[in-house]
Amino acid sequence: RRRVVSEQAEIEDRLESLIIRVGDKTSSSLESNLEGLASVLEADMNTYKSKILRILSECPIQMPEKCTIYSTLVGLLNAKNYNFGGEFVEQMVRNLKEALREGQWESARLIVRFISDMVNCHIVSASSLLQLYDSFIDAAMEQGVPQVRRDWYMYALLTALPWVGRELFEKKENDLERIMAAMEGYLRRRNTAHVAALRVWNCDTPHPQEEYLECLWAQVRKLRTDEWQERHIYRPYLAFDSILSEALQHNLPVILPPPHTASTQYPLPWVVFRMFDYTDCPEAGPLLPGTHSVERYLIEEHLHQIVTRHHNERKELATQLLAFPQRNKIPLEYMIVEVLFSELFHMPSPRYLEISYGCTLIELCKLQPSTMPQVLAQATELLYERIDTMNATCFDRFVSWFSYHLSNFQFRWSWDDWQNCLSLEKDHPKAKFVSEVFGKCLRLSYYKRVNEMVPECYSPLLPPKPEPYFKYQTEGGNSLPGATQVQALTELLRKKPTPEEVLELIQQLPNPLKDDDGDMEPSHNPLAIEVFVQTLLHLGSKSFTHTFAGLAKYHSVFKNICENEEAQICMLRQVYELWQHHPQFLGVVVDKMLKTQIVECCAVANWIFSRDMAPEFTRSYIWEILHLTIRKMNKHVVRLEKEVADARAKLRAAPSDSESSDDDPNRETGEKRRRTVSNKDTPKDGEEQPTEEMVERMEERLEAAQSDQKNLFLIVFQRFIMILSEHVVRCDTDGKDFNTFWYQWTVGRLQQVFMAHHEQVEKYSQTLETLLFTHDLDSNILDTFRQFQALRS
Amino acid sequence: SRVEQERLLSQSSTLYVGNLSFYTTEEQIHELFSKCGDVKRIIMGLDKFTRTPCGFCFVEFYLRSDAENAIRFVNGTRLDDRIVRTDWDAGFVEGRQYGRG
Repeated sequence: RRRVVSEQAEIEDRLESLIIRVGDKTSSSLESNLEGLASVLEADMNTYKSKILRILSECPIQMPEKCTIYSTLVGLLNAKNYNFGGEFVEQMVRNLKEALREGQWESARLIVRFISDMVNCHIVSASSLLQLYDSFIDAAMEQGVPQVRRDWYMYALLTALPWVGRELFEKKENDLERIMAAMEGYLRRRNTAHVAALRVWNCDTPHPQEEYLECLWAQVRKLRTDEWQERHIYRPYLAFDSILSEALQHNLPVILPPPHTASTQYPLPWVVFRMFDYTDCPEAGPLLPGTHSVERYLIEEHLHQIVTRHHNERKELATQLLAFPQRNKIPLEYMIVEVLFSELFHMPSPRYLEISYGCTLIELCKLQPSTMPQVLAQATELLYERIDTMNATCFDRFVSWFSYHLSNFQFRWSWDDWQNCLSLEKDHPKAKFVSEVFGKCLRLSYYKRVNEMVPECYSPLLPPKPEPYFKYQTEGGNSLPGATQVQALTELLRKKPTPEEVLELIQQLPNPLKDDDGDMEPSHNPLAIEVFVQTLLHLGSKSFTHTFAGLAKYHSVFKNICENEEAQICMLRQVYELWQHHPQFLGVVVDKMLKTQIVECCAVANWIFSRDMAPEFTRSYIWEILHLTIRKMNKHVVRLEKEVADARAKLRAAPSDSESSDDDPNRETGEKRRRTVSNKDTPKDGEEQPTEEMVERMEERLEAAQSDQKNLFLIVFQRFIMILSEHVVRCDTDGKDFNTFWYQWTVGRLQQVFMAHHEQVEKYSQTLETLLFTHDLDSNILDTFRQFQALRS
Repeated sequence: SRVEQERLLSQSSTLYVGNLSFYTTEEQIHELFSKCGDVKRIIMGLDKFTRTPCGFCFVEFYLRSDAENAIRFVNGTRLDDRIVRTDWDAGFVEGRQYGRG
């Protein structure tokens, strides 16, 4: 019997592999492959039907680029076996309903597209597809629900139309026109306030940066004027027209979109990134499809899908991108580069790690050395030329990618071409870009190397040599306040003293905050902090490891002398003073201090906005530190939220002792689900059953954390508002234009906070609106908040 | 034992990083690997006799998934013009930083 089972499993595996691989490169034609596979499946249908159904219904979603191949295959099967066709349609409908219910929007969209394509293969009737479209239109027209929900239903429809538009045009022209009219009405009434926050460039020259639905609508409208003929989709079913047209069609049942609930999350809108048009590509080569041609959309989507499928294997991804099926009909390198940059610059955040795009571009250069490096250089050139209108978030990503790329190619670049940045103001985005790139290159290599890589005239933009600045060893350092104690402490620390001994020494320092007559005890001793922090960090300045060791060993001293926020800000000022020429070190030390709770998030935020840091305000590293601080807080809150949710679920799922019998089926599945969620620490989890009291305590901790988080956001946004408002008022009284580079950078950084942490900020949107972003605020500042709100409206 | 070693490797969030230049610093390594996630610590490999860096190190992440990303995206790319090689490591133990030099 075992042999029979294993034989069956073997056949199932073989069928699965045949289905998955159909359409991949082979020596024989796709048509004969499809025909052959359809016969094989037909023969095995009785024994393996459920397996075949499952695989066939998953493939077009897992491999959306092969959508038409699978619709053809199912079409052939339906022609042979009407019942199977019916069951397959039922299965797809079930999958669609489930995806909608579970909020798996991308799967749902691909299923709608596939169902639409099944009309082309005579599996599904056109009239029942139109019924599905009508119910989607109704969902898009629904009042009192978020626009992001309505947008999705519109989007799902629009992306299916290139597949089935021609068929509907031929058979149901009036209905198609009716749907188009409804869409037009919807698009005209839509709110697009979010666009400004999502654009990579805040300007429409040379290429309009269009909102995704509007762009797609323009492309589909153009398709309509072309009588629904497109030139990209490969449609294998055309070869089987005689067989397929004989087949009987199935009717889709009525599919009603599940109602909106407060907890449903919908995809955020985006802006279509464009950096090339046909004039950028070589004249001799194939033409780049225009921005409103549907082919541009279809090719881009196809390329994005290749990225989705192979994003974890950069070599395979690069190979697959370059092996794009219609590679000879399009300027492929340009489209690949545009698609990869569109992902890298995607707002609010890229789909995958930034470095994954960087190393894919490296692989592409290696695989296609004759063309790829040039196209990438041209792209870099364009990005640099247009950088003055690029948003701050993308600016950072561009800096980070470019320096990383250079570090992989011996830092070779034609810097001479960018000399125009030398005559610009230091805060001009071009000058800023070059100097930030130098800074990042410095982090990945070393000072001498970077110094050699750039022409001498660029030296004003070159950051100083990254090393500690220990003022006690500079000229006149001996006479600085605390200099003798610094010396004494240095000597003491070399003997590896206990924290108590260190504390004893620094507590002898006089407190400059203490006035003679007052008996108020000052909140901290700035001199003690200065002496301790400067000396300890200087001694540990050899490497991160040395510094971390010092922080760990004298943790209690920090806790003792930096109890409150003022003290912590004072301490951060000292860290900055020592590491002012080494932004990476500064960031890593602050990060470590946050992790070890030597400093609190709010103190870091207040320090960044303090007067001392004003000269550094337009440098990227400052914002890196702010974001890592906010992220730390967010992570903490998310972790506690998850803990509470898990414990609550366990508490609910746990049967009281009397009914803990093993054959309770509900319990079984609950147990299984838990195991898959946290398989790492299952054994422990399984044993420990939280009590009501424990969960309550967890909830209290969560509430406290949330209140800290809210406070942090309030501080950050309030400081932004203050500093921006002050600037506007000052310019006003001086009769100057407020719209300076400084102002643009600062607004950009404010926008960045909204975007980078939108999921967490969202929770406090109401509070922010009532307390900070009130109507009397300068409209430029208020706009950033409104754009953020519009993201999910 | 081998089984134990494999179990450790499959749960580890520490990488062995090799083929580095002797001049590559902890800071440079930190900068590169941080692109994949929060780095917990870096232990520079040192020459047994001279106690100077000798071309390898251990990078420990807080999360296994971040270490996985480092293997995906950093392994085989360049740092200081040398191709970085990364591999799973069962976890750093004091003493292992001393290489052959």
